[in-house]
Amino acid sequence: MEHIVVAALNGLVVGASLALVAAGLALLFGVLGILNFAQGDFFMLGAYTVYFTVAAGLGFWLGVVAAALVVGVAGGLFLMAMLWPLRDRATALVLLATLGLSLIMEQLATNRFGADAKTVAPPIAARIPIGGTQYPVYDLLVVVAAALILTGGYVFLKYVKYGVWLRAVAQNQRMASLLGVPVTRVYALAFIVSLGLAAVAGSLLAPLFSVYPTVGLDVNLDAFIVVIAGGLGNFRGAAVLALVLGVVKQLGAMVVPGQAVDLVVFALVIVLLIVRSQRQSVLVRL
Amino acid sequence: MLELSDVHAYYGRSHVIQGISLRVGRGEGVGLVGHNGVGKTTTLKSVMGMGPRTRGHIVFEDRDLRGPAHARARRGLGFVPDGEAVFPEMTVEENIRAGALLKPRADHRRCLDTAYELFPVLGERRNQLGGTLSGGQQKMLSLARGLALEPRLIMVDEPSEGLMPINVELIAAALRRAVEQGVGVLVVDASFQLLKTVCSRMYVMKQGRITGEHELDEFATADRLVETYLKGEG
Repeated sequence: MEHIVVAALNGLVVGASLALVAAGLALLFGVLGILNFAQGDFFMLGAYTVYFTVAAGLGFWLGVVAAALVVGVAGGLFLMAMLWPLRDRATALVLLATLGLSLIMEQLATNRFGADAKTVAPPIAARIPIGGTQYPVYDLLVVVAAALILTGGYVFLKYVKYGVWLRAVAQNQRMASLLGVPVTRVYALAFIVSLGLAAVAGSLLAPLFSVYPTVGLDVNLDAFIVVIAGGLGNFRGAAVLALVLGVVKQLGAMVVPGQAVDLVVFALVIVLLIVRSQRQSVLVRL
Repeated sequence: MLELSDVHAYYGRSHVIQGISLRVGRGEGVGLVGHNGVGKTTTLKSVMGMGPRTRGHIVFEDRDLRGPAHARARRGLGFVPDGEAVFPEMTVEENIRAGALLKPRADHRRCLDTAYELFPVLGERRNQLGGTLSGGQQKMLSLARGLALEPRLIMVDEPSEGLMPINVELIAAALRRAVEQGVGVLVVDASFQLLKTVCSRMYVMKQGRITGEHELDEFATADRLVETYLKGEG
């Protein structure tokens, strides 16, 4: 029983961080129809940001804030500038561009930071007993932080001016423009928030994973699964499914080998895709 | 208020609008009628800066009208297109708020109240998703939102198309009220009842050109109006 509780908690931790990446991915897809293959690489940049701020003695939490701001704003505007000329072109071009960016970022990170895995100590070392297991408090804090960020995202999309406009642009860009909504600014915001979420996830998860150039790859794959299964562009669906996926994978790994769990997850995604292909709409939904 | 002088519009090599000139004054209702495909909607889109490549002068309140649609909208120009004019996964209230948020916070409540006053059914369905409204209610929602933003001129494309007579009356009354409040209205429609209620003048279009300008008083019956724009003559 104790093992199950610990595995479920581990699943929640993984799911919470995955939810941040997936929510960002869903947002970008909902607003712009862009599936960003490089999303995981901005997760990686977030992780490196916190690694370097800690190494420089500036503290862990400053690293998290820096990851959100620097990677979110600079990365968001860079990605927007890169993809803007392709916005009315074939979808495949955008996919290839983000795939290319992903490969370039991973290679640059390898050249600049080295291929070795770096570790970041958690900012809170305390542990709480769960049965005979001493469970790290920081891991639980990650779940709480992700829940707060995602709740904030929901409130933003529901009640705040630019959040409402993000949904409006996603649902009917032409009409939003006709009303006077500053569509280009809304697009920029979608890029910034999307990559900011990935970077925050990377920075929060840095103490739990090692930090290395391809750390975002696995996260990205799972995030794609979540976004597709949750309904493309569905912010809340992506967040909830990320938590479910995290828990299912951790619990599943207790009874079947890890790769078999992945196989089952992929099979479920294929089924969901077949079902959704009948009635798929691309919107930022709550 | 709005003046088009020798405006041409092109979709690729297709010369859709071939040098039209028209004007709409403050507090004036003006109709634009003609067969399907003569360029009425393209004219409205050209004014709004969406879609076709244009040439010629479009002046709004004594200044050239330039830039993307949202910049033109912010100058006080409204456009209610025909079809797909709501945010389907947002409630009626959110649909109106999406527009109201462009105005100062103090005006948000007034925008909602104006919309609900124009079409009370929207108030009754304020928590319903826009995409689940009937076609007529969606037209009311998009028009109510457009008028609630208090544009100085509003262009409306086919507001009565496919609606029951009772809904046409409601929409015509809302546009008439806007005219009486000093808003310029340019409406593309084929409903005699709506044109008679809203407009004092109308232009007839044929094959991308304006072929006639009439006072609505010239037409006592719908048949006479239809005869005129079917001929497309002045």
